[in-house]
Amino acid sequence: MDPVAVDILKSEEVVAGNTPAATPRSWYSNVLVVAAVLFAAVSVGFVGSIFWSSLPTWVHHGGTLLTSSAWVSPAGPFGGLSMITGTFETSIIALVIAVIIGLGTSISIVFFIPRRFRTVVATLVELLAAIPSVVYGLWGLLVIAPWMEVTVNPWLNKWPFAKTIFGNSGQEFGTSLLLASIVLGIMILPTFVAISREVIAVVPQDLQEASLSLGATRWQMIREVVLPTAKIGLFGATFLALARATGETVAVALVAGSVANAQFHLLYPGTSIAAWIATEFGESQGTEISALMALGVILMLLNVGLALISRALVSRQRKVLARV
Amino acid sequence: MTDLIELEEPTEPSTSSREEIRRISDNARARRVVTSRIMVALCGVALLIAAVPLVALLYQLIDKGAGQLNLDFFTKLPQTPTLIAPNATGGISNAIVGTIALTLYASILAIPVGVLVGVYLAETNSKFATTLRVIAQTMAGAPSILMGLFAFSFIVHDLNVGFTAIAGSFALAVLMLPVIIISTEIAVRNVPNSLREAGLALGAKPHMVSTKVVLPSAVTGIVTGVILAISRAVGETAPVLLVIGGGFTNSWQPFNPVSAMPLAIFENAKSEWPSQRAQVWGIALVLVAFVFVLSLTARIWASRKQQVRN
Repeated sequence: MDPVAVDILKSEEVVAGNTPAATPRSWYSNVLVVAAVLFAAVSVGFVGSIFWSSLPTWVHHGGTLLTSSAWVSPAGPFGGLSMITGTFETSIIALVIAVIIGLGTSISIVFFIPRRFRTVVATLVELLAAIPSVVYGLWGLLVIAPWMEVTVNPWLNKWPFAKTIFGNSGQEFGTSLLLASIVLGIMILPTFVAISREVIAVVPQDLQEASLSLGATRWQMIREVVLPTAKIGLFGATFLALARATGETVAVALVAGSVANAQFHLLYPGTSIAAWIATEFGESQGTEISALMALGVILMLLNVGLALISRALVSRQRKVLARV
Repeated sequence: MTDLIELEEPTEPSTSSREEIRRISDNARARRVVTSRIMVALCGVALLIAAVPLVALLYQLIDKGAGQLNLDFFTKLPQTPTLIAPNATGGISNAIVGTIALTLYASILAIPVGVLVGVYLAETNSKFATTLRVIAQTMAGAPSILMGLFAFSFIVHDLNVGFTAIAGSFALAVLMLPVIIISTEIAVRNVPNSLREAGLALGAKPHMVSTKVVLPSAVTGIVTGVILAISRAVGETAPVLLVIGGGFTNSWQPFNPVSAMPLAIFENAKSEWPSQRAQVWGIALVLVAFVFVLSLTARIWASRKQQVRN
C-alpha cells in the first residue's frame, strides 16, 4: 500500500526531471512496444470485462441498484443503497480517525523525532502497511469486537442522544459499522502518513527559519507556515487515503457484520460495496453476479475519481513549492 | 485575589500603561509557549496512538499464533473438527502449497511484461507512454477485489477455465503489474544519462546500451519493486477469494482448484469451532512472517542501492 503510494509520487518527479535519448526502431524496441500494447490490452480488458458483465443489471435494474436497499438473493431485487451508504459511512469515519492521528504522527516524524530514530519509525510505519488486510480483519473480529461488545458499546450508549447515533448493538459478536471504521482507520493510517510526511518534509527550510527568527514558537511555525504551505498536498493525501478506504475489502467483510440494511446507527452491523462483493460472490449465480459486477463498476468509478483528485492535488502542490 | 486588586490600583498613567503592555506581552508569550508545548505533546501522543495497533497486533499474533505451530500444522491437510474430536483441525499444507503456487504463476505472468513495460515507459516520451503511466498509477491503487471480478468474468467465465489456481494467479498478476511497472520505470530513469551517452559514444547500438548498461545499473531498483509486488500479492485475499475455488489437496497444478493462506484465514476466522479460530492465529503468524521477510528484503536491497550510488 504505502510504498506504492510514495513510488507514484516519486515517479512524477523522476519523469519530470529526466528525458532519455530517443531510441530508434530495432527488434528490442519492438519487444518493448509489444509488452506495452499487451499491458494496454489488459487494462482495457480489466475495465471492459467488468463493465460488460454488469451490463444486464444496468439495462434492466439500474434504478433499483441505486435507490433500493433490499438485496434478495438469488432472484432479486438487488438494491445497492445499503452498501453505498455503508461504504461512505465507514470510509469517512475512518478518514477522520486517520487524518487526526496521521497528521500528528507525520509532524512528529518530521520535526520532533531525533534523526537517528527516524528510519526506525519509518520502517515501523511501512511494516504496518505491509500487514495483509485479512490479518487486520482477524484481529478486529477476534480481539477488538469482543472488547467493543463488552466495554465500549455499553459505555457509548450511556451518553444522551447516543441511541440515535449509535443504536443498540449486541448482534453478530460486536461487529458493527463503527468497528469497521476503526479498523479501516488503522489500515489507511500508513498511506496517509507516507504521503503527508513527504509533503511536510519538503516545505522549504528558509520559510521555517524565517518564522522562527520572527519569534514564532515551534507550533506557530507549524500552524502558520508549514501547514498552509503543505495544504494542497495534505488534501491530496486525504483523498488518496479515502480512495484506499473505499476499496478495502476483506477486513470490512470480517468486522462490519455483513448485513445489508441502510441505516445510520453506527453500532449496527452493516457492509460496504467491496465487502458485500466478497461475502456474496461465492453463493451467487447469473443475475446476482451481474448485480455484484455493477457494484464493482460503482466502486471502480468512485476509486478512480478519488485517485485522480488526489493526483491532481499532489501535483499542484509540487507546482506551488516550485514557485516558493 | 489581593495581589490582583493591588495591581489594579491607580498609579501614574505612563508607568501604568508601560506595565500594562509588559504584562499583556508576557501573558501572550506565556500563552504561546504553553500552546506550543501542548500541541507538540499532542503530536507525540498521536505518534504513540499510531504505534499502539502495531504493537498490540504483533503481540497478539505471536502470543496466540506461536503455540499453533508444529510439524503437523505445516505438513497435514485441514480437517473439520467433529463433536468426537473437537480439536482435530489438521494442518494447512494445502494453503501453503496453494499460496506458493499462486504467487509463482502470478510472478511468471507479471514480471517479464511488467519489467518490459517499465523499460518502455522510461525509454519513450510518447502520448501513448504517458497514457500508460497514468493507467498504471491508477491501477496500482485500484481495489484488489476488482482484479478478482476481472479474473472471474474473463478467465473463469469467458474462457471457461473454471475455479482454478491459474485464475487466481491471473488476478494476482494484474495486481502486481502496475507495481512492477512503476518501480521499474523509476529505477531505469534514475540511471544517469551520462552512462547512456558513454555507451552510445563507444558506438554501442541503443538496444545494447539499454540491455548491457542501463538494465544492469537499474537491477537493484527493479528487484526491489518485484519483491514489493510479490509481498503484496502473497497477502491479498479479495482477488483469490472469488476465483481459486478453495481446494482441499496439495495441488501444484495450475488448472486445479487450490487454497491459499489468506483465504484459509478469512474462511476459518468465523468458524464455530474454537479450535479452528485458534488455528487461524497460526496461519496469520506464518503469513505475516512471510510478508515481513519479503518487505525487509526489499528494504535491504533498496538501501544497498543507495550505498552503491553514494
